[in-house]
This record gives sequence, structure tokens and C-alpha cells, in this order.
Amino acid sequence: MIRVTHLMIIRTLSPPFPTVCESIMISAIEQIGRVTLRTSSSVGSTLSFAARVFLRMFERRSYNSASRMVLINQIYFTSVQILPLFLFVAVIFGAMVNGMVFQLIKKIGQTDYLGRLLMGFVVMEISPFVTVLLIALRSSSAINAEIAVMKVNRELSTLEIFNIDLIDYLFVPRVLNGILSMVFLSSLFSLVVLSIGLFVSSVIFGTSVDAYIDTLLRSASLLDMIIVWFKCAAFGFFITLIPIILGMNASQELTSIPVAVLNGMVKVFSAIIIIEVLSSIVRFI
Amino acid sequence: MQKIELKVGLFVTITLLLIMASIGYVAYKKDMFSKVYTYTLSSKTGENLTEGMPVVFWGFNIGRVSSLELIDQGVLIQIKIPERHNRVIRSNSKFVLDKPLFGASRIVVETDNLNAPPLSPKTVSEISVSNDINEMIKRALPIVDKADRIMANVEQVTEKLADPGGDVNRILKNTETVTANLADPKGDVNRILKNAEALTARFAKKESVLEMAVGNTESVKSVHEALANVRDITVRIDKILAKADSITGKTGEEIYGPDGVLPLVRDILRDLVAKLTKIDTTLDNINKVSAEAVDSTKDLKVLRSELDAAITAIGNLAEELNRKIPFKAKPEIKLP
Amino acid sequence: MRFFESEEELQEKLRDFITAHKSRLGLVSLEAPLISNLPVWSNIALIRQYHQNMSWHEAKITIDRLLHRMGMDSIAEKRNPSLTKEERFYAMLLRAAMVRDAVVVLDKPFSILTNLRDGHFLMHILHKVDDLIAEAHIFDYSWAKERYGVTADAED
Repeated sequence: MIRVTHLMIIRTLSPPFPTVCESIMISAIEQIGRVTLRTSSSVGSTLSFAARVFLRMFERRSYNSASRMVLINQIYFTSVQILPLFLFVAVIFGAMVNGMVFQLIKKIGQTDYLGRLLMGFVVMEISPFVTVLLIALRSSSAINAEIAVMKVNRELSTLEIFNIDLIDYLFVPRVLNGILSMVFLSSLFSLVVLSIGLFVSSVIFGTSVDAYIDTLLRSASLLDMIIVWFKCAAFGFFITLIPIILGMNASQELTSIPVAVLNGMVKVFSAIIIIEVLSSIVRFI
Repeated sequence: MQKIELKVGLFVTITLLLIMASIGYVAYKKDMFSKVYTYTLSSKTGENLTEGMPVVFWGFNIGRVSSLELIDQGVLIQIKIPERHNRVIRSNSKFVLDKPLFGASRIVVETDNLNAPPLSPKTVSEISVSNDINEMIKRALPIVDKADRIMANVEQVTEKLADPGGDVNRILKNTETVTANLADPKGDVNRILKNAEALTARFAKKESVLEMAVGNTESVKSVHEALANVRDITVRIDKILAKADSITGKTGEEIYGPDGVLPLVRDILRDLVAKLTKIDTTLDNINKVSAEAVDSTKDLKVLRSELDAAITAIGNLAEELNRKIPFKAKPEIKLP
Repeated sequence: MRFFESEEELQEKLRDFITAHKSRLGLVSLEAPLISNLPVWSNIALIRQYHQNMSWHEAKITIDRLLHRMGMDSIAEKRNPSLTKEERFYAMLLRAAMVRDAVVVLDKPFSILTNLRDGHFLMHILHKVDDLIAEAHIFDYSWAKERYGVTADAED
């Protein structure tokens, strides 16, 4: 008799099965809502910060002597120091891509497509992509760690105490360096790959220099070149801005530095993919 | 710091120079710095017209279509010609919208006299249309029908030849006329033969051009085989006519008369030459192939099958003629 | 000199002071460390380069001269982690002195110069940069008064 009563109580206390399902569903939907709100708020704050930095790039006071020195140092570390490695990669890559392209063209007999392949694929897609990967791997991670360390060491607050604007002194030079380095290095990469193509075509496949240049010129369009520079600039802007934002998000603890770098690099990679897709859509339209 | 400044300065300067030189070179080669002349053309339809399409003179790109505007009477087309090519645009220039068998449409400029006064930019010239693909397919389709007609004619010829009590006397009366025609180097039959030989020789030289343009070895091979067949058939018909020539005195009106065999043969040969001329035009267009070569390869295959059908029909006719026309096979026919 | 009984009081007063003198403030404090990825001369020059747009070349000459005046020529190219406490203090003071009409605030200087027994050294180096600064204020705990040789509670 006692046992039966106990079971009845248990039955009364435990919620019916549909109620449990409902609560699981509601919490799942709440979770989706939370994630959506968090993501959109994060994207929104990133874009609003990006807009602030972008606008500040056009203000004269952002280019004082201190900021110019930072800019020069940044270009040196991002573009000049990496140059030997970068050119080596460009030569190796150029030889490889050109070999493949020429073999393919020869095999399918579509010589008219040579220019399109080299200009549309190598110059428009591959050069910016390889360049952005190299810069992101080397400089974005460095910027992320540098800003996070400055935050942990209270160096950012030092700058604020001395009335030094962080955007002017730290962010604008780095972002501008990202844009310039991307445009310059990507252009160099394209020029190196096309020069290797000239070599491959004339020495290995016996095409005349004029014919090769003519093929490229037929496929070259200034509009495409402008699009690819915009794309490079967008890459450069975001692969430096995102590490800055994530570096700023570090706390006062040393352990927050690797976390900031890790998150920053993941977001940098996402930004690269998003820009790549957007630029393809723009070109397609 | 000075060293860094120097290195960065060098890097930026050299890279900028390289970029500017590249842009400058592309812009120069694309005539961005030269003066550009704008001419206006009109067309009744905007079909196959696109902004940016090339303007071609003697196979060379000399400009492009800059804008298209729809008006009540049709479409106004503005073309831009850089100064260095402007000398080919004269008042007597004709503008043809060319839709080749292979490749994209373009506007072809035809100028007979380059010394004619220059075309005024205010003049609105009308564009004429040449659509090779549609015309070729349209022309190729009746070939099979014609081949059927040829076969019917052959049957008729055979029947007439088989009738020993037919119009032999009438044939004999007309022999002299026919002989004169055959002997005349400017006569129909000889002209046809000459044309056929010249065309066949020209086809033989086109393989490389085709291969370059189409980039499809199989299609080229097919066309080449077809052309080889044409050549063989031409030779065979040539032989038949040689036979005819040798026996002119021995044949009658049944063969040479207005309703006889030879006029039929002549009709057939005229058909053949007309077809060969069309095929020749098509092959000439292959030289103008552009990026859409892959799509056009299908057209080439269609053309090739039509060509095969025609050739088979004409080949059968040649065999039939060779077998049934009683040229040397009946030497006993006496002249009156 | 301002002396306070507790950390909270000191911090509060310091904050108020910083807010009041924000535009001319030259803070020497552990809360305002040197920028670790810049050499000492660059840390000091930064203020004039940023606020007065002084060229790096001119700034370098100025800073070298100042460091020479302080007998600290050797630290020009050093970075923060490799400096001794004294060198670091010199660098921080010079940086503070670079602010135009600087109101220099020494926030608990003995926490930076932990090896100092008294404030003579502080007075000595403040005299060395006297021409560069408009005012100098020391914020410290009241129990450190004796180290400065101060007996009264009031500011000096």
C-alpha cells in the first residue's frame, strides 16, 4: 500500500513527456537566438569599428610623424622582410602553375584560353589568395599577439594617458600597411608568375614573346585589374583590422593572449573566405 | 630607422613603378591614350549586338561597340575606333554584322577604296547582317532533298537509256551543239569542273587552319575526310565527262537533248558546285573563330553529316552514270 | 607632494588629478609602462612626434641630447625589459617631460625605484629636467613621508 502511494507521488512529480520535449525545443530555439544575436552583434561592432578606422584613414592628423614611423616599420616587417621568401614562392608557384596551364592548353588545343586562364585565374584569383595567406600567416598573427600583449601590459592605457589616439597611432598605420602590402605584393606576385609564363612559353613551348604578350593583352582588362586591387585592399583591411579587434579583446591575464590570437586567426580565415566569395559574386554579376 | 626607410622607400618605389608600367602598357596597347573616333550605325534589330563587341577590318580588331540605343526605327550602335585605325573608316565603308559559324558576332568593316573621303561622324550608316550559322544550316538541309531528286533523275535516265526504240534520232541531231559546249573552255561543264577542282585543292589546305580554330582534332578529321570524298567524286565525274567527250559523236539526243542525260548531269554538277561554294564559305569563316569554338563544334558536326549525305548521293549517281550511260559500252550506235 | 592613507584614497585623488590635467599630464607610474616594442628613445620621442609632429630625425637628436644630459646615452636603443629600475625611471620621467608644459606626476615613485632609500635621488633627477616641465607632483602613501624628508602633512 505504501509502495503504491510512493509511485503515485513520483508519477505526479515527474513532468509528462510532451512537456520535456517542449522545454528542450524552447531551450534549443533560445540557444539559436542567443548565437544569432551574439554573432550579429559581433559582426555589427566589427563593421562599425571598421567604419571608424576607415574614415580615420582619410584624416590628416592620422599621419603625424609617430604614425608615419609606425607605418614605415609595418611595411618593412610585412612586405620588405618577407620579400625574398615571397619572391621565391612566386617563382616556384609560377613555374608550377604555368607548366600546368601550358600543358592543359596544349592538350585540349584551346590556345585562345591561355590568356584567360593566366589573367582570370592566376592574376585575379591565385595571386591575391596566396599573398593574403602569406601575410595573414605572418603579419596578422603578429599584430594580434602584439595588440594583445600591449593590452595585457597596460601599454594601451599608457598611450591613452598621454592622449595618443589608439586608432591614429596603432590601428590606421597597421590597416593601411595591410592594404598597401596586399596590393603591392599581389601585383608583384602576378608580375613574377606572368614573367615565368613568358619564360615557359618561349623556352619550353617555343611561343614568341609577342604572341604571349598579345594573348595576355587580349584577356587583360583595366576593370578586372581595378577589381582585383579592390579585392586586395579589402583583404588587407580585414586581415589587419580583425587581429587588432581580437587583440583588444584580450583581458589583463597573460593566458588571454593565445586565446585572442587563436580567435583572431579563425576570424581572419573566415574573412578571407567571405571576401573571396563576395568578390567572385561581384565579378560574376 | 634610416635603413628601414631606405628599404621601404625602394620597395614602394620599385613596386609602384612596375605596377604603373604594367597599367600604362596595357592602357597603351588598348589605345586608351590615343584619340578615339565615334561613329554611329543603325540596325533594324538589336539581335546579336552587344556592347563591347569587336569591330573588325581584314580580320583585325580595330575598335569596339561602345553603346547600343533603342530608337523607334531600330537600334543605334555607336562604335569607337582609335585614331591609328581610323583611316580604314571611309565614306564608302560598309558595315556588316557578321555571325560566323564559330565564335562571337562582330561588326566587319568593308572598305573598297581606302582613298575615299573619311566617313563623317555625323553619318548614320546602316548595318547589314550576315548570319553564317543559320544560313549554312538552312542551305545544308535541302541538300538531302536534292540528292533524292538526283536519284529520281538517275532512274529516269536509266529508263530512257533502257528504251532502245526511244528518241535516238533526236539525240543525234543535237550532238553538234553539245559537243561545242563541251569543247568550249568557257562552257558550263568545263567551268563547273574547273571550279570543282579549285575548290577541292583549297579544301586540302585548310586542315591546319581548322585545327587551330576548332581545337578539336576529331571534328577536323571528319571534315577533312568529307572533303577527300568530294575530291574523289569530282574526279570520278570528271572521268565520266571525259568519256562523254570522247564519244560525243556516238551519242544521241536521248543523252544530249534538252530532256536528256547530259543536261541532268550538268544540273547535278551545278548543284555540287553550289554546295561546294557554300562549304568553302563556311570553312573560310572558320578562320574567324573566336572563344565560342567549343559550342560551334556541334554545328560543324551537323554540317559534316549533311555534307556526307550529299556526297553519298552524288557518289551513287556517279556510279550509276558510269554503269548505265552507254558511252563506249555501245560503240555500235552510228551517226547518220 | 601629496600623501594618502590608503590605496583607494590615493587612486581616487590621482584619478581626479589626471582628469583635471589631462591635456598636460606627464605620468610616471607603473600603471603607465614604457611601450615594450619600442626602444627607449622612441618611447620618449613618441610624445613629441605624435603631438607636435616632430620628425623622427629631429626627435632622435633631441632625445639623444636629453639622455646625454642625464648620463643615460647607453639606454637609447634598449627596450623596456632590459632596463634597470633606475634606467626605466629615467626613461619614464623623460617621456613625461616631453609633454608640452608638462604637469609631471610621480605616482608612488618608490614602487618603481624599489632600491631607493630616500627621495634625494628623485629630487636630483627632477632638477635635471626642471627646464622641461611646468609642474611636478608626487603622489604617495603617508607612511613614505619620511623618505622624502617631509614632516608636515601638507603638499610641498
